[in-house]
Amino acid sequence: MASQMERPKASPAYQDSGTLERALAVYLDQQLGRAVGVSGLRRFAVGFSWITIGFTISAPGIGGCTELILRLGPADGLFAPYSAAPQFFALRALEGAGVPAPRAFLWSDDSTILGAPFFISELVQGEAPIPWGPAGGMPEELRDRLGVAFTDALGALHNVEWQSSGLATVGEEITVENAASRQLEEWERNYLRWRLRPHPMLHYAARWLRANLPTAPRVSIVHGDYRLGNFLAIGDRITAILDWELVHLGDPHEDLAWACLPQYRAGTKLMSRLIERDAMYQRYHDKTGIEVDPETMRFYEIFSLYKLAVTHMAAVSVFERNDFHDLRMPAMGTQIAPVLRQMEKALEALA
Amino acid sequence: MNNSFDRILTGLIATLRQEIIPKLEGEFVRGQAYGVIYMLEFLRLRASWSPAFLTPQLEALDELASALAAIPGFPAAAPRPLPATSSPTEPDAMEMLRNAGDDQVSQLIDWLGSHGGSLDRSVTDSADQAVRTYIRRQLRHEIQTSARPMFAEISLGKEEEKTERQ
Repeated sequence: MASQMERPKASPAYQDSGTLERALAVYLDQQLGRAVGVSGLRRFAVGFSWITIGFTISAPGIGGCTELILRLGPADGLFAPYSAAPQFFALRALEGAGVPAPRAFLWSDDSTILGAPFFISELVQGEAPIPWGPAGGMPEELRDRLGVAFTDALGALHNVEWQSSGLATVGEEITVENAASRQLEEWERNYLRWRLRPHPMLHYAARWLRANLPTAPRVSIVHGDYRLGNFLAIGDRITAILDWELVHLGDPHEDLAWACLPQYRAGTKLMSRLIERDAMYQRYHDKTGIEVDPETMRFYEIFSLYKLAVTHMAAVSVFERNDFHDLRMPAMGTQIAPVLRQMEKALEALA
Repeated sequence: MNNSFDRILTGLIATLRQEIIPKLEGEFVRGQAYGVIYMLEFLRLRASWSPAFLTPQLEALDELASALAAIPGFPAAAPRPLPATSSPTEPDAMEMLRNAGDDQVSQLIDWLGSHGGSLDRSVTDSADQAVRTYIRRQLRHEIQTSARPMFAEISLGKEEEKTERQ
């Protein structure tokens, strides 16, 4: 029986490192007005969606950096089609704001340049602790300090004055009144787009969410996937928050609730396996002045489970519909039922 | 399970051929890997999702249909799953029936959300209870028929002696 992958087809530039290196050099030469000498392309095995490639350019580099990161949003990626604009504008808005994040230098949504939308940022040093590691994990003292840094970084993000940044020009106007409904509508659309079969639990949850929409305490930059696994650290210092592809303007509770998802606690009582809930809320309040509202948190914790289930559906969908053979995708799909079960239990507890 | 049986086999074969076999050293090991591909191709021709997985789901749908029909005053206009008029044994037909039933349940939930205010409270409460019982039963069945997650191994690229369950 003939296999699908035997069909010849045109590959985008980023799938061949030699082609990508040449295309990247042409682009950078044009942007910087000099020959930059791209070398050392290496792909990082991180993430399920955007492709991350490290590379080197000759001195003086960009913004003083010769070690850079290229992030590409492939046409067959989890949440494709992509735009690099929100991530780029968000990262630019964070510069000098006390949020550990890579500096972004260049971006384009023109897929003729490198084969996909992309942006270029500095390479930040550090290691990413993952939420699925073996039992034991990091030393308690280090974990405690990292939990504080994790909360402080989130507070700093939600304090950013984004109104004069490019992020304010992306998408429709978000207000404290419509922040929750806009997110719910977006993820309901995503459910309809990615589902391969109906899931009554998501209809039930959406009905509850529509009846319990909160008003935001402020409109902040929301990371959208803030958790253990999405930051780099050296010791107890967070050097960079990563994976900004779901960044948007919204209610800051949304990030807090996502960081509190049971999926990232690894069976502990620690939020993102780092910090106890009460300590996190208190520290966050000290940093932002935002009083964490329990009812709003309940809304966003149910919403986060909804979003997580739909994200798993995206993985199922991209695997089923494309010639994209990454077996992590159907593996993620097996987690839809456990997420829906958690949602059902959470709603039962509220009844 | 959410991906189709055939697509998962195609992905397994493609991953073996494109990602794993080129990095294997030794004729015997590569031969074993091609043996796996060959047997997967056989499974693709002869196997599918088990009726034993789908039958309890159709039974749960039937019980929900009966529970809704037994609610006094349940509105005729409400979408709902209907008792099965046939009992297919082919997995594809069973899966289609399960999906059609879940679609009707989803429509019922949406309908109750928009019309529930005009109904007797006892009717909406009973319908809600029946739907929740159905959802719980289906989710429990899906989880009970799932393998132990291996996300630590998938992320780390190695098998630890002892890993935490997700």
